[in-house]
Amino acid sequence: MNGAIQVRGLKKSYGSNIVLNGLDFEIEKGETFALLGVNGAGKTTALECIEGLRKYDSGTITVNGKMGIQLQSSSLPAHIKPMEAVRLFSQWNKAKIDFTMLNALGIKEIEKKQYIQLSTGQKRRLHLALALIGNPDIIFLDEPTAGLDVEGRVSLHEQIRKLKSQGKTIVLASHDMAEVENLCDRIVILNNGNIAFCGTATELTDKIGEKYFIHIKTQQGNSTFETDNIEDTLVSLLNDLKQKEIHILDIKVDRGTLEQHFIEMARRETE
Amino acid sequence: MNGFLYGVALQWKLDIRSKSLLVTCYIIPLIFFLLMGGIFTSVMPEMGSTLIQSMIVMSVSMGAFIGLPPSLIETYGSDIKKVYKANGVPIYLGLVTMFLSAFVHLMITCIMIVLLAPILFEATLPTQLPFFFLALAIYIIVSLSIGSVLGLTVKNQAKLTMIAQLVFLPSIMLSGIMFPIDLLPDFLEAIGRIFPASWGYRLMLDNGFCFENLWYLIFIFFAAVIVCGIVLKKQKAK
Repeated sequence: MNGAIQVRGLKKSYGSNIVLNGLDFEIEKGETFALLGVNGAGKTTALECIEGLRKYDSGTITVNGKMGIQLQSSSLPAHIKPMEAVRLFSQWNKAKIDFTMLNALGIKEIEKKQYIQLSTGQKRRLHLALALIGNPDIIFLDEPTAGLDVEGRVSLHEQIRKLKSQGKTIVLASHDMAEVENLCDRIVILNNGNIAFCGTATELTDKIGEKYFIHIKTQQGNSTFETDNIEDTLVSLLNDLKQKEIHILDIKVDRGTLEQHFIEMARRETE
Repeated sequence: MNGFLYGVALQWKLDIRSKSLLVTCYIIPLIFFLLMGGIFTSVMPEMGSTLIQSMIVMSVSMGAFIGLPPSLIETYGSDIKKVYKANGVPIYLGLVTMFLSAFVHLMITCIMIVLLAPILFEATLPTQLPFFFLALAIYIIVSLSIGSVLGLTVKNQAKLTMIAQLVFLPSIMLSGIMFPIDLLPDFLEAIGRIFPASWGYRLMLDNGFCFENLWYLIFIFFAAVIVCGIVLKKQKAK
């Protein structure tokens, strides 16, 4: 296998609840790859099976390279200090501490705090730093920006882009479509334990078809309309608002985000 | 090996910071020792000959049954255990580091009692100190092994508080440290002999280091090791 990861027929159930129903996909070296899906879609389970943290019922997983795993918050003792965790992980991985990487992630600034005193963003940065100890080839990120403010998200996205530029393979689980659209080369969308889509963001948009979103702001509030026929819908909407004597404050038309396409896809699946 | 030693030293520091072991291994046992030491030796001066052993049984029981298990639940009842797998280290490493750290904490407390009791309460020092400390080490290890079983098998802190008391209270009330075991009704004496405290107490007394007082502690220890092994193997299989 030349790729970084190969997953074939991956199945996992909890009792009668089938979480992963035979997943097949490959991840290339140097690729940023996302596992996408709503809560409960099976992203974390799939990720943990690949990481070796969870046993699966059947299928094969081949990983070609050293793994670095960013665990979710609350996976360190409450009273440990960031540099103590870094030293412990370095000892376990028999790796030297990379102070340049730690400085880039701002670990120095929080070294005197205990884990319990860190903000969500600081915890995420620490977990990313711990995942990078030992200079892994493949980095797993589970909901890396969940619970972060805008500044924290931007900062973490920057770090992920830097890792990509260094040729690292990055696998992330997320339910944040915008994040995935910005960062990833390819995505897998999980729905009820199956792969609903595997490809690039552009391919997903093409699959969904020509869809426009009209965002209108009036004195009565904001509304968004979805259409395949932009001209007719726009004329009809404007006439309707004029008849009702509702004043338009702002109007915007776009092709929609990956998130909106994902919702559309999930809607079609359930229909 | 460096990683292992660093892990034990770090755990020792974390125990102090978390205050759970700090309170149960040092503060409460030493306050109890200062209060009860004075009361015991005033009311019954002959208790001076067994005061050190009595206070040690109380301290070790508290640290092992009430102090250690919450740290284990924090690790093995949460995502913290994934840290071991994610870094390719054995899942039992957490248990071993916490066990050794608690052992050091309890040994420090016991040494403080041994040093202070003769000065403060004119308590008698054990005549054969090497045997006494060997018996003490065995007793601490056996008590911590029971604490380990509690921490790995009980799923939440609320249940643990209740179950730990069910082990702790009989250990100190029925082991003979408060009053001679001969004064107890037969059934209470039998119940007292289920817990390692009464065996450990006798093992630490002068001329008490013999197989008759040792075999049950060895049995308890190996039983606890087997239970811990099974629980950890189950956790790993998940």
